[in-house]
Amino acid sequence: MIQAAVAVERLEKTLGKNKVLRGISFRAQPGEIFGLLGPNGAGKTTTLRLISTLLSPDSGTVEVLGFDTREAPEEVRRRIGVVTADIGVYPRLSARENITYFAQLSEVRDSELKRRVDAVIERLDIHSFADQRAESLSSGQKQKLAIARAIVHDPSVLMFDEPTSNLDVLASREVREFMVESKDRGKCVIFSTHVLHDAERLCDRITILHEGQVVASGPTAEVRGGKPELEDAFLDLVGAS
Amino acid sequence: MRATWIVYRKEMVEILRDRRTLIAIALAAVATPIVLTVISQVSTKTATQTYTIGYTGDVPTGLGELLTATNLKLMPVADPAAAAKKQVDIGIAFEPGEVDVYYDPSRQSAQIAQNRLETVLGQYSAAQAAAALQNRGVDPGILTPIHLVSHPLSSPVQAASNAFLSFFLPYILITMIITGGFSAALDSTAGERERKTLESLLLTPAPRSRVLLGKIAAVTTISLVAAVAAIVSMFVALARISLPGGSGHITLSVVAVPLMVWVAVLIAFSFSAVTLALGTLAKTFRQGQAYVTPLYFITIFPASIILFIPDFNPGIAYYLIPILNAVLVLRDAIVHNSVDWTTLSVTTVSLLATGALSWYAALRLFTREALLTRS
Repeated sequence: MIQAAVAVERLEKTLGKNKVLRGISFRAQPGEIFGLLGPNGAGKTTTLRLISTLLSPDSGTVEVLGFDTREAPEEVRRRIGVVTADIGVYPRLSARENITYFAQLSEVRDSELKRRVDAVIERLDIHSFADQRAESLSSGQKQKLAIARAIVHDPSVLMFDEPTSNLDVLASREVREFMVESKDRGKCVIFSTHVLHDAERLCDRITILHEGQVVASGPTAEVRGGKPELEDAFLDLVGAS
Repeated sequence: MRATWIVYRKEMVEILRDRRTLIAIALAAVATPIVLTVISQVSTKTATQTYTIGYTGDVPTGLGELLTATNLKLMPVADPAAAAKKQVDIGIAFEPGEVDVYYDPSRQSAQIAQNRLETVLGQYSAAQAAAALQNRGVDPGILTPIHLVSHPLSSPVQAASNAFLSFFLPYILITMIITGGFSAALDSTAGERERKTLESLLLTPAPRSRVLLGKIAAVTTISLVAAVAAIVSMFVALARISLPGGSGHITLSVVAVPLMVWVAVLIAFSFSAVTLALGTLAKTFRQGQAYVTPLYFITIFPASIILFIPDFNPGIAYYLIPILNAVLVLRDAIVHNSVDWTTLSVTTVSLLATGALSWYAALRLFTREALLTRS
């Protein structure tokens, strides 16, 4: 069997008194966009935080490129790039300084630092505001900056948590195009969203979470079944038709 | 330690671009000389000010000139007791062979005038007695059978200088270290949560203990910069003003300077760790302020009390109390111009332990899941 980029097995997690995940399993492969779908509170963000080692599983396992998140969290973090739902940037640093800071913390070598930062600025078309302080950037520019700092160390696994929720049409399209481009470069892209239209267009395979459980998983077309749109299948699955 | 250095550099850049911190340091540098200049001027004015004595009766011959020479002005009044309440600083009724003095102890001017009057009357009485004895052919020396000869073991001017410094220097040093790093500490902890950069920071492979060390080092640096700014400006001001009473300028002993630097580094390190730990508990900068502000009062209050107790001679256990121990060690070094290695060692261990425990607490808080899930 080909090693999965991300392998989640019978994952359980309770936060406070709330059992957020109830034994979910899925595998995401290199070179695909894997959709993690579900209504608000389904457990999508918690799943991403477990994969990215910010949280520790109560039971079950998560492996990223063969590294167990509990046993080798730093190895896992070296191999992932996460664009979080909240775009937080350091306001008193310029866009370039923000990217450089995360590149250094992600162990990009000094000899490669400038080239990597310049390459990311070029790839995401950040030139026009690279030396502007982050506090003066628009939401779309901040989102580009958030993507830039997440990919500057060239991770094999990219995770996007609701990346288009606060963006206008143009900025959303740029994010979507970036995900496709990353997939084409052989990256494993995990896309967490409740915007089913985006998921249907982008994802090769999807997993639908509802109340902490997997209610459907597989190729997008297969999960949609005979329904005209993914949204119809989704509503059937979560019992909200 | 690469991650620590990276975090330190970034925090320093952010701090130096933060107006709040820069304004706090600038205010410290400006406020200290202003306060000292005002204190000096008030002291000088008090020493040279003329006070008014309301009197009834006949002023003994020669006493009027003596009073005028000591800046005590005589003014005839109808009722010296009534006048001493408001109209004049002190009231006197000259009776044959007796002087009745009326003053209100709640008025500072009355106390100063009364002290001056007592001194002048004592000198006048002694001079009159000596003159009377001399007229009778008796040596006035019989009035002082024992001669008091004082031998101060250190320069009285230096002693006054040391007393002044032992009061102000520890207070300014500690206040500036704690308040100078306050904003930076909260910005790098609660601020990370508030502007939602914390999650991205924790997603990097950098070990969290190193990240925290970088933050502590940056806050320590800025605390020390604030303290140095305040102390340098204090000494610049002290070089331009005289001691109360005009007896000379204030200087710090050679022993006290390195000790002050060492104690400043210790306080800055330990309190950076404490404020970072408290900042990590907070979700927002404002909440962090609510946690940290009481810390300033809790630490500075006992230290301030000690400064008002003359010749307070504490046991070794007092040197275990953070901040209080720093004040005591500094005071001892300034006043006695020497270092007590035992108390300095206990103080060092106490402050290092405070810093290490706070760093550990901050690390535990920094790695708990609730840090993200509760925000």
